[in-house]
Amino acid sequence: MKTGRNRFSYWHQQQRIAPYLFIAPFYILFIVFMGYPLISSLVMSFYEMRGFQSRIFVGFANFVDLFRDPIFWKSLWNTTYFALGTLILQLPLALLLAILLNSKVVKGRNILRLAFFVPVLVAGVFIAIIFNLIFDQRAGLINNEFLIFGKEIGWLSESKYVMPAVILTGVWQWAGFNMIFFLAGLQGIRQELYEAAAVDGANWWQSFIHITLPSLRPVIAFVFVVSMIGSFQLFDLPFILTNGGEPADAGSTIVMYLYKNGFQFMRLGYAATIGWVLFIIIAIISIAQLKLLGIFQEE
Amino acid sequence: MRIPFDIDNFPLGKGPMVMLVLFLISCLFIYTPAEEKGEHLEFWIFANTHYEEYQARIPIFEEMYPGVNVQLINYGGTMHDKLLTALLSDFGAPDVVEVEITSIGRFLKGDIDEVGFVDLRSRLESEGWMDKLVVSRFTPWSYKDRIFGIPHDLHPVVLLYRDDLYKAAGVNMNEIETWDDFIAAGKKATRDLDGDGETDQYAIVLDRRTESDYFNLLLQRDGGFFDANGNVVIDSDIAIDTLEFFTSLFNEHQIATPVYGTWHGDPSNFAAMQDGKILSILAPDWYVGILKSQVPQMSGKWKAIGMPAWEHGSRRTTTRGGTMVGITKQCKNPDLAWELLKFAYFDKAGLINRYETTRIIPPLKAAWDAPIYKEPDQYLGGQPLGQLFIELAPDLPPRYQNPYWSEAADLLNDAIFNAVTEKQTPRQALTQLAEKVRTLIAKDQQRWTKGIKNEDGTK
Repeated sequence: MKTGRNRFSYWHQQQRIAPYLFIAPFYILFIVFMGYPLISSLVMSFYEMRGFQSRIFVGFANFVDLFRDPIFWKSLWNTTYFALGTLILQLPLALLLAILLNSKVVKGRNILRLAFFVPVLVAGVFIAIIFNLIFDQRAGLINNEFLIFGKEIGWLSESKYVMPAVILTGVWQWAGFNMIFFLAGLQGIRQELYEAAAVDGANWWQSFIHITLPSLRPVIAFVFVVSMIGSFQLFDLPFILTNGGEPADAGSTIVMYLYKNGFQFMRLGYAATIGWVLFIIIAIISIAQLKLLGIFQEE
Repeated sequence: MRIPFDIDNFPLGKGPMVMLVLFLISCLFIYTPAEEKGEHLEFWIFANTHYEEYQARIPIFEEMYPGVNVQLINYGGTMHDKLLTALLSDFGAPDVVEVEITSIGRFLKGDIDEVGFVDLRSRLESEGWMDKLVVSRFTPWSYKDRIFGIPHDLHPVVLLYRDDLYKAAGVNMNEIETWDDFIAAGKKATRDLDGDGETDQYAIVLDRRTESDYFNLLLQRDGGFFDANGNVVIDSDIAIDTLEFFTSLFNEHQIATPVYGTWHGDPSNFAAMQDGKILSILAPDWYVGILKSQVPQMSGKWKAIGMPAWEHGSRRTTTRGGTMVGITKQCKNPDLAWELLKFAYFDKAGLINRYETTRIIPPLKAAWDAPIYKEPDQYLGGQPLGQLFIELAPDLPPRYQNPYWSEAADLLNDAIFNAVTEKQTPRQALTQLAEKVRTLIAKDQQRWTKGIKNEDGTK
């Protein structure tokens, strides 16, 4: 039996603060591992290390240097090139795969869905090592077996082919993953809409344009934004595939350049600057995408 | 047994009660300190081959020093980044650590007194070790007159060649003395065997994407990126001439093929070797070890000579790669760490064991008289390869270290590629490169000087 005294006891008073205690672990971890490093890196971008013990305040000099740095611009272009490749090649392919594997006409859909999804389960490092062999100029599978382009292409040794090779590898790795999102989106579209359209005489293409795509808008927005963020954070694949961005920085990306500056060149301030510029770029692109896709519009 | 409190009356319910108990128990485990047994040394390494060697030998050291416990940790490729973080945060660094030659530069940035390694010069000199080792091998681990590490190796480079294929081309490789001789021989050996208009075998494979092979040639001539005083000398006449020669092997003479894959140890490169597309390679001792483990089926097909010289009678080798061992300033017992360093690097029995497993020639001259180096090497058709390496070892060129090596090497890779692919002339590529690195260093110096003045309030 509970007594009146118990109801106002010390423990019962604690119930008021209990919810805060339960959510505290997240905030503590967020502040320690995210909040503090974020603010610290912003501060760091206005400094440069002088050895291991001291740092020098340089104001906006890191930002000025960055905008004058040709390797940064090259890395930014390579990253943008990859992002465009993702946008133009990978995401339409993922949507196409999703439509095909959502169709009852295709046999063995479950096996195919699994087959297309599996690459994302493989670690990027292994994918890079395997594609290194596939893209090899003389012994590689693509040049040796297919010779699609009528000549041996230096996929990883000629500057102009390096990023296309990275994009093709990215397509193999991620198209199946994005397909799953589209597939989920497609399965959420009500069948009655298609039936009503068919009654009105709409053909397949008209149904696709006027029903499928608008219904998929939230999924498309999600996949586009997440893929763009992922593309701009590209690191492990080209780092291993191109041996750190070679030849002549043809495979260098922004995050790779950040890593090199931070860890290989011990220029932590400059690396922090690259990180914040990358954050701003990603934020602008993500907001622009969401705006273009009308996600901010009220229903 | 009765629980001394009422679970049902715990104010937040049963779930939180269980969570709280688990939390308290785990706290107890965390706070229980590991049992301390005498002295403890933490030893970080990054090379798998070294791990096997030390793992076998550390128990011997622990027997020699009762109560001492050595914890060997192999972090692989990420070790240098972990070390950098530990030194930056002034916490968590090992007592003893091995560092790779291309990574050491970044650890030397800033004021020399702030470098995270103990200066070993006085210990080396007072115990007479300097005379017992190949002295030029201290240059990669020294900066501003301080020595931060002991060399693990020498890594002399030889010209490894396909004996069968050069013979088939009518070339006697033992007659080669200079690079001019090699070019003449290479033109005979570089051939289109099936008459389809494409070259099927190349006299030599060279890496045009990274500084590795160009730097091999440059060091052989006593060149370098930086001189002993830290000045940028990559635009010197000797450096430009060497790059002109390097590019001519691809373009003018057409006897060199770019490395297959991303580097000399790439499986594609090994495949090309097995297909007979590659007839020679500039190989340090460790590379021979890799070849033996990766392509054992090529045993008996290779032979080795000293690198062709630039002039008759001049140096027939260079040096490629390397590792040092050093003591970090976070080490609480540097004297004991120093004993571990000597045990790992100067013990003759251990060094012979190292050669057996890795084919790495040690810098300790006293270890060179062991019979093992004179043993015929079946991978090279019975040629005693160890003997050749030891003959070349005393003539190794210095390789001066600099805090800006990482940035310099990254830019040098681009310059070499641009020169070989004829986007720039070697002179343009190296002059621009030197200017970039000088500007980088000058800008840092300027900032640091200004920053120090600001901190002192004497602006």
